[in-house]
Amino acid sequence: MIRVIFVLFFLWLVKPIFGQEIDTDLLTIKKRMDAVQQFSATVIFDLDVPFIRMPTKSAKITYSKGEKMGFSSTDFVMLPKRGLDFSMSEIFKYPFITVDRGTEKRKGLLLKVVNVIPTDKRSDLAMATLYMDVQAKRIVESEINTRKDGSYILLMSYASNKDILPNYVETTFAIERLKIPFNFMGKDTKIDRKKMRAMETKTGKIKMQIKDYRIKQH
Amino acid sequence: MMKSLFSAELLKIVKQSKTYYALGAIILIELLILLIAYYQGSTVLDLLLESLKQSFYFEGSLLNGNLIMYIVLNSLWFNVPLILMIITSGFLTDEYKDGTLQSVMLQAVKKKQFILVKYAMAILFTILVITFMMLTTFAFAYAIFGKGDLIVYINTLNFFESGDAFRRICFSFISGAIAMIFYNVTSMTLAILIKDSSKTWLVSALFLVITNLLLKVDFGNASFNNLFFPKLIDTWQQLFVYELDWTRIIGNNFLLILYSLLMVLIGTYIFNKKDIG
Repeated sequence: MIRVIFVLFFLWLVKPIFGQEIDTDLLTIKKRMDAVQQFSATVIFDLDVPFIRMPTKSAKITYSKGEKMGFSSTDFVMLPKRGLDFSMSEIFKYPFITVDRGTEKRKGLLLKVVNVIPTDKRSDLAMATLYMDVQAKRIVESEINTRKDGSYILLMSYASNKDILPNYVETTFAIERLKIPFNFMGKDTKIDRKKMRAMETKTGKIKMQIKDYRIKQH
Repeated sequence: MMKSLFSAELLKIVKQSKTYYALGAIILIELLILLIAYYQGSTVLDLLLESLKQSFYFEGSLLNGNLIMYIVLNSLWFNVPLILMIITSGFLTDEYKDGTLQSVMLQAVKKKQFILVKYAMAILFTILVITFMMLTTFAFAYAIFGKGDLIVYINTLNFFESGDAFRRICFSFISGAIAMIFYNVTSMTLAILIKDSSKTWLVSALFLVITNLLLKVDFGNASFNNLFFPKLIDTWQQLFVYELDWTRIIGNNFLLILYSLLMVLIGTYIFNKKDIG
């Protein structure tokens, strides 16, 4: 009897390691997101990078499930390579496992934290930490670590309690300092080498307001 | 009297072939710079955006008329004053050479009035040439490369929307014109001092080169750096700083106007004192 209890206790202990179960709350959120087949919206960008000054820009974005995000604009826009994936389709593209990290409080909300680790080598994602609002069934924050494109953090706000797609996203990412050709510098430009070295890698932010959503769900 | 002197001088400028050679030379320089700017522009953009390509997608083209105009602006302000200084100093040195100055002075013409009209003609000619240059470069640049956002590196990488870029370029032409007026007024003063045309050209060119060299020198003293005329010549660059410092821009241009007036005063005083001949 003691042996049986011991085996059961051991199995309970190692369950998180070998069980590889996917968090049920995440599955619920994934199911909600999977229902979004297509959407288009207008995004208003504000770039906040220490060495780049750019006026507020806007672009049209279009998303179709299984395809890359498309965007168009009448003037020049710089869009972050990562961070436009509001539907989290990149994270859920390949099989993955989740690890429960407990809960954390953010802005008065108790959020459930899980690590998402892909099990397929084709995935560019190394690991994602998702902060889920279980009650509203959506992701509020995510820290994404990729194999090729570095790490970035997404903070999302929603217009109403039932929305699955955010109306405001703030992406924080690391950005390398600029390598400027000297002949393009204005004559008045002073080169502060110390400052330039200190700026080797900086944190950049892009703030996006998303409006005029047209969502096609099944 | 001033009016008839002015009309006579204007007629001389319109009639002389040198004026048209100057305009032709400016168009040729513009076309060459446009061609170079096109090749330089794509290389510059590749280099500027290289480090940003890892983090961003780009939508829209930055190789457009506004970037070409900015590169053109960078190249114009050395070549154009050289041509202008040769032409404007010629307004007076030719009179010395041809001996027409004595004939004019035999009439009831005051020396002071005569030289002031010469200075006024130098200023008018400069404004006309810069306006012509601005219109033709805009026409070439926009017709060939179209409009679009402008990217400039001045301490930070600055992006300007097309309309904003156009306004800044227009203002920088005005600021550049004030610098050109200073050069041309100086060349006229040099013509009064030297009289001989080739010697005046040489000294004017030397003045231009030295001013451009001094522009890059840090004199260690902030007020001297801000007030010394070579430091004011490239004020037009200030129009591409993201947040415009109008006090500095207007202040610098006002100082350049004062320097130009000082040159006119010195020239007029010397011409008035000197014997003709």
